[in-house]
Amino acid sequence: MTAAPVFAVVGHPNKGKSSVVATLSQNDAIAIALEPGTTRRRQAYPLSVDGHTLYTLVDTPGFQRPRRVLEWLQAHSVSASDHAQTVQAFVTQHQGDGRFTDECELLAPLIDGAGIIYVVDGSVPYSAEHEAEMTILRWTGRPSLALINSIGNDDYSDTWQAALGQFFQVVRKFDAVRAPFEQHLGLLRAFGQLEPDWEALLEQATDFLSDQRLKRRSQSAAIIARALEDLMAYQEKRTLTQNQSAGTSDDTLAEQLRQRWYRHQRQREQSLRIDIEHLYQHQRIQRQEAELEWHNEHDLFSEDSRRAWSVSKRYLATAGFGAGAVGGAGLDALTLGHSLGAGALVGGLIGAASSYFYGDRLMLPALQISALQDGLQTATFGPVQDSQFGYVVLGRAVNHWWHISQRNHAGRELLDLEPTDHHWLEQLDRSSRQIIQQVFDRRRKRRPLDDRERQKFITAIEQSMGAYDHWRLNRT
Amino acid sequence: MTDSPLRLLLDFDARSQRDQDQPPAFLHRRDRKFALTCAEQGQVPNAQRWLEHMAHLSGPGSLASAGQKTLRLWRGINAGFALAGALFGCLAMLGLLFYEGGQRINITVILAFVALQLLLALFTTAQSLAGWQPWRWLVRRLTPDRNSGAATRLQPMLMARAAHLGGVSFAVTGVLTLLLMVVVQDLAFGWSTTLDTGASGYHQLLTTLAAPWATLWPAAVPDLALIEATRFFRAGAGASAIAPERWGHWWPFVTMLWICWVLVPRLLLTLVSALLLRRKARQLLANHPAMHALLYRMETPTLDTGNHHNDAADLPDTGTNVSLQPLPDSNLLICWAGVGEPELPQTLIGKHTHQFRAGGRASLAEDRATLTEIANHIAESPEPAVIVVTRGWEPPTGELEDFLTSARELWPAGIRVALVPLPLHLDSEREPQPHQLSQWLRFADRLGTGFASVSAPRLHWRDPHAELLPEPGFEPGTESRKLP
Repeated sequence: MTAAPVFAVVGHPNKGKSSVVATLSQNDAIAIALEPGTTRRRQAYPLSVDGHTLYTLVDTPGFQRPRRVLEWLQAHSVSASDHAQTVQAFVTQHQGDGRFTDECELLAPLIDGAGIIYVVDGSVPYSAEHEAEMTILRWTGRPSLALINSIGNDDYSDTWQAALGQFFQVVRKFDAVRAPFEQHLGLLRAFGQLEPDWEALLEQATDFLSDQRLKRRSQSAAIIARALEDLMAYQEKRTLTQNQSAGTSDDTLAEQLRQRWYRHQRQREQSLRIDIEHLYQHQRIQRQEAELEWHNEHDLFSEDSRRAWSVSKRYLATAGFGAGAVGGAGLDALTLGHSLGAGALVGGLIGAASSYFYGDRLMLPALQISALQDGLQTATFGPVQDSQFGYVVLGRAVNHWWHISQRNHAGRELLDLEPTDHHWLEQLDRSSRQIIQQVFDRRRKRRPLDDRERQKFITAIEQSMGAYDHWRLNRT
Repeated sequence: MTDSPLRLLLDFDARSQRDQDQPPAFLHRRDRKFALTCAEQGQVPNAQRWLEHMAHLSGPGSLASAGQKTLRLWRGINAGFALAGALFGCLAMLGLLFYEGGQRINITVILAFVALQLLLALFTTAQSLAGWQPWRWLVRRLTPDRNSGAATRLQPMLMARAAHLGGVSFAVTGVLTLLLMVVVQDLAFGWSTTLDTGASGYHQLLTTLAAPWATLWPAAVPDLALIEATRFFRAGAGASAIAPERWGHWWPFVTMLWICWVLVPRLLLTLVSALLLRRKARQLLANHPAMHALLYRMETPTLDTGNHHNDAADLPDTGTNVSLQPLPDSNLLICWAGVGEPELPQTLIGKHTHQFRAGGRASLAEDRATLTEIANHIAESPEPAVIVVTRGWEPPTGELEDFLTSARELWPAGIRVALVPLPLHLDSEREPQPHQLSQWLRFADRLGTGFASVSAPRLHWRDPHAELLPEPGFEPGTESRKLP
């Protein structure tokens, strides 16, 4: 079996080597800063399947004294055939020498047989200063690929491409922060093409990565579906003694329960966010600040977010018609078809009408106080009676999922979840709409879902994620 | 034994519901590891092994599972039905055999009762197969927390089994009561019906009913003579001429009738319902969504993208106390690493400026030559200072540090070196960005105080008239370049 390839990500300081590694290894806990020397030691990031490594990325510090290294190498070399050995001799001789720590760290994996991934910043102009580095890398004799990363807004990638082409087998552009997932896979395949032995392993790795991504999408749908089930059916309950109920007015009680109900719903939504982020291996997203800002401006239950995320009356009526018709068809089945489908029609009309009128206002869940029993009374608040609530939560959740799934692990900026300005859910297919509406209706009546219904609901949520994705990609 | 697939399903259901709160990545690692361990041991991973593995890892005390709770509930329901069945069996038989000496015990009534029992037994099975749950209210009352999905779907089967168990104990206590009554009392059986039927017709019916045991126990099949002799009419005159013990000759037939047409069908249907329950439990387990997920997790390799290393908190200190300094008056200017190609900003170059090149493409020998040459120039200057122009967007490297360290050794003490990092766009009015300037400030700081400083002079000519007006944000420190 061929040994797993190692790729050393090398380059000038502060060109985004760690960003490239962070994105490809899906690790958002790698120190990245606009400061030279953030990476001080080399660090390996192996991709493994069931514990077997398929390839390893090595993040390294940048070159500090390339001209001095090159001078040493040239002074100790007789012919081109001894170049690789001379590089090895350099590292052996300078281990522990404080001046060449960075060079030794970055050359060591190359001596051990690593492929070279040379990273430059395509947003600043090419300078000949880099030629010494590139010459040293060529001396190692390892297969090499140059990556044009882009840290700033300018674009000098054409001049870089021409210059790098003289030193490297393959030159590719790759924006570590913004490149979409397909480009990650394309880049890994390009790594595999550096040496024939590596191709199969990298191909295997990209297959696993795409499978994982597909699976994550359906897992996200299941997580969102579960949160929706919880949120739609949540009821805040409080048991009161006779004295307590006599001492509290209904308004105060309703207010207290309302507060607690809201708090719980927000917490549940937050835990959904975290679950999705962790699923995509984002452990450190700065949402704390975003969340605060977010709550002030677009509170979960405010008019603003309702306007942004809720669906139209027409949507509700059609989805309600479908959901009602399913119930009515049950009546037809019971009469062995003698009602000639009238059940479905009537059920559909009732469903449509109730969704149309019921879903119009964000009706708050009402306070209900039970009769006195053994000196105790139960006051309940919720579940929310408006299915729009479910659409608001769904819209926000899918929006968050999309941002997370598109976010590269090199990204360190705040996650800003702006509400969208379009009812993208209206692109969803009819049967998925009906399933979603049906589940919302069931859950607000606190009826449980069985396994088959849940599975259908999850599929419908996945469809709506697909609709959102499609809408995002085709937005002008 | 009977409960094993059922128990497996219920335990699996309970376990999968608990797993819902676990992160998917963890579940995948856990189950894939289990599958790999099984493969190593040459075993096929299945639900039973998986549950045992989980229970084994949880250690003792994990046995009180939700599955067991449900099973205990159903054992309770079964026992209740059996008890009620036993009691009713006893009472029903006593009622059937009620005989105060005047009337005969009518065999026709017993036949009708047996037929009813048989019908009820068949109905119970049919109802469970169709999924009707007339007993649902009872189970709801007995389970305070909602049953899991799997248990709910098994309820018709479970209920049918309980009902059949009740039926079996009904039949058993019935037959026992019958035998007891035969021993302790003299029972007088006869047959009677309003229909105009003859003894031969009745005999034919009874022979058909008695067919199952006719060869085993011929005495339990009533002969035509007995039938003819024991017909009675309530309105008829008292006892006929037959001997009184003949009335009692019916008991073997009644016993066998009860055993064959009440007890045995119940026993068979109980067995059938138990088998159906097992089959249904197996089906539900195989189609359980969590089972599909588990199989997927066990079959798919886990992928680790190398995200264990965490040094996010290990960032370099980016603070510095050093501030920008005014540009010293000097005509010695070093262009570091190819800066100023093709040209430097005009504001930096005067008529007498000496430009030198170092770093970048220049060799180290050329750098050394530059240092020596500048040393010679400095000797002539009363207030020596050197300007080093660099690319502000590139970070300062060890090479520049080496160059300046050599300069410090070679040049006379007290010389000032001003680092001027240029912005990327010379044509704009902008200074280098703050994070770019700060890396140069920290670099100067590392070189030691009193030797190097950083300046960011204005790089464009300004209208001399505008000079007269005070400008907001004007910093004299950055605007001190005297033009030659």
